[in-house]
Amino acid sequence: MNIFKRIASFCTVIFGVLILTFLLIHLVPGDPVEVMLGESASTADRVQLREDLGLNQPLIRQFGNYLSKLSAADFGQSIHTKTPIIELIKSRYPATLKLAFLSLIIGLSIGIPLGIYAALKAGKWQDLIVTLVSVRLSAMPAFWLGPMLMLIFAVWLGWLPVSGMESNTSIVLPALTLGFGLSAILTRMTRTSLLEVLNDDYIRTARAKGLTEPNVIIRHALRAALLPIITIVGLQMGSLLAGTVITETIFSWDGIGRLLVESIEKRDYPVTQACVLVVALSYVLVNLFTDILYRFADPRVKFAS
Amino acid sequence: MKVFDNLARLSLALLCMLACACTQQQSSISHQHEIVFATAQAPLNLDPRYATDAASERVNRLIYQSLVDFDSQSKPAASLASWVQVNPTEYRFTLNQPRALFHNQTPLKAGDVKATYDSFATLKDSPHTAEFANVKSIKVLNDDTLIFQLKQADGHFPAKLIIGILPADLIARHQDFSHQPLGSGPLKFVTWQNKLTLQRVKDGQKFSLLEVKDPTVRVLKLLHGEVDLLQGELPPELVKHLQSKPDINVKTSIGANFSYLGLNMQDPVLKNLKVRQAIAHAIDRNAIISKVMVTNTRVASAILPPEHYTNSTNLPLYNYNPLLAKQLLIAAGVKLPLKLVYKTSTDAQRVRFATIMQAQMQPAGIDLEIRSLDWGTFFADVKQGNFQLYGLTWVGIKTPEIYQKAFASNSIPPNGFNRGRYTDATLDTLLAHENWQAITIRIHQQLPYIPLWYEGQFAAMRKGINNYSPKPDGNWDDLATISNYAH
Repeated sequence: MNIFKRIASFCTVIFGVLILTFLLIHLVPGDPVEVMLGESASTADRVQLREDLGLNQPLIRQFGNYLSKLSAADFGQSIHTKTPIIELIKSRYPATLKLAFLSLIIGLSIGIPLGIYAALKAGKWQDLIVTLVSVRLSAMPAFWLGPMLMLIFAVWLGWLPVSGMESNTSIVLPALTLGFGLSAILTRMTRTSLLEVLNDDYIRTARAKGLTEPNVIIRHALRAALLPIITIVGLQMGSLLAGTVITETIFSWDGIGRLLVESIEKRDYPVTQACVLVVALSYVLVNLFTDILYRFADPRVKFAS
Repeated sequence: MKVFDNLARLSLALLCMLACACTQQQSSISHQHEIVFATAQAPLNLDPRYATDAASERVNRLIYQSLVDFDSQSKPAASLASWVQVNPTEYRFTLNQPRALFHNQTPLKAGDVKATYDSFATLKDSPHTAEFANVKSIKVLNDDTLIFQLKQADGHFPAKLIIGILPADLIARHQDFSHQPLGSGPLKFVTWQNKLTLQRVKDGQKFSLLEVKDPTVRVLKLLHGEVDLLQGELPPELVKHLQSKPDINVKTSIGANFSYLGLNMQDPVLKNLKVRQAIAHAIDRNAIISKVMVTNTRVASAILPPEHYTNSTNLPLYNYNPLLAKQLLIAAGVKLPLKLVYKTSTDAQRVRFATIMQAQMQPAGIDLEIRSLDWGTFFADVKQGNFQLYGLTWVGIKTPEIYQKAFASNSIPPNGFNRGRYTDATLDTLLAHENWQAITIRIHQQLPYIPLWYEGQFAAMRKGINNYSPKPDGNWDDLATISNYAH
């Protein structure tokens, strides 16, 4: 029953996003007919094209037409490039997925061990250094960190390409840019969360039972400290899947975020609508997945709660 | 506890491991004789019947050939065909010999020209359709000759025939030229995925056009050798940085693209000529050009540059004189400081210009408020007349018809580009008689635009790249001749 409730709420959110996007796009300044025909078109041509595109119909009917096309997976075509939007999404979304997952892996593999280490060395110089590094990393914006990494690893050391998607290693620098930011947040979160549970009675009991320290930390303390970490990872993953515009732009990474921003700049309304829908779907799916992970991390958590 | 120490060390070492895993990258960055050209904006549409953005038009000039092109004075000149005006409404075009070949090796015939221009009648969503609404019919006399019959006389008609010619059989088969272009130009299409790959017909030299939005990244890619060539759209400090690099060759040329301040002539303050003159005298163009613009930038006085065939007059410049500007404002009865809103895009260089002008106008008693808007909102506001002042550039303008489209009383949007809603009966009469010299003088006196500059052009390339020079309108025509001796 609970899973049905989740699916119903999932559909409601998506429908809400569809309505909001549709309305917002019709409210912002600019007109698709102007974009297509330019400024020298005659009034008759404008009226004709408006009619051909169905833009002269009432908003509610336009929305109905949009939904019916959407149900047939027809997103329409780009105003500027005349490319079917489904093709654009197909070509851009895998790139975003790839970058998001690698960034997440980097973030997790740096953030969680460093967070554990800092918690175990709480109050000592090692903790101070880890805290200092993570605060510094979280304070570095992508538009600064990205070019710095390019300068060091591409221009000075010559190990990696500056940007683009031509080589297999092109993904490393954008993934590091995103992964470092994520690792800084995870380090702080893991440290705080672990410190809260390390002094609990059950940890003391586990130690008293003679369990080895790694066993105590990994099987008992970390598992209990995992819930807030999962929340943060879920939220961050949602943002990564929505496309990280700045990083994608700096590294010429053809992902969904860059496509969305470009379509807004060029007033390519059908592309904007499709991108927003994909982004919303990603967010909702990641949230759903996060909820499922909660249950695995802590069986006391139920969907209904 | 040792386990955690090791884990932490492992994490800290991750960065090094990732980087070390890629040490072989350097050797893999070779383009196998391909010339890589980084651009700020990728082309949007390779069908010349739809393309309007600068990048698409520049690429399409290389993939396709048109009937007409322009000479160094921007006069229409024969390209694929020469022409004669049979009567005021009839032009006869004869294709040059030997006949051009499409990239599929079929000869370009008069029927292809007819099919290309006839197709506008069916393309209801093409931004160029309105340009050819005056064409009554196109008659093919033989494979080399055709006649354009017009509904009304148009002395500038040949200058409009700059659309690339497409093969008639592919038009009939509804070929998707936007993504599978096929023309008769010096470069032919190869692929277009993350980058656009073209190949030179005469020797097979390949080119990649790579979109790199960020100017700093474009420069880093050029320095790293991932890119061989870039042109324009860099702040001057980056150009100077490139000029100091031994591996990079920077070439500059004069520009022909006109930057200006647009004024809303329906604004109660700005419709006063004295106020417009005050603004013109409140901007120190020479200081801006010398400090924050690339070399070869020139102060402008008219839309069309001095070398254009219509420009035979040396127009006086509005020199920077804040005292005179203040006096003009007082004479106009304006309460000082005069508050004006200046709209511009979010482009960093544009915002920089706006900030400098804001400072320069202050001693003249003008309090300039800058509003930097995203391109779509900014341009929509400009077209709707929702502004007091805005800054824009006319790119690639060749024909004097621009004066008609930008300033005639009947060209107010949506019927033209008269975005400032300027109405002037005297100018309308001059436009009707096409007295270009008098038109230029009148516009210069009345200041519906405040002229700023023609920005200099530059191209930066790695040593070994030869036979490429920037052109005044920023076109990429030299890709037809460029050579790469580095490989």
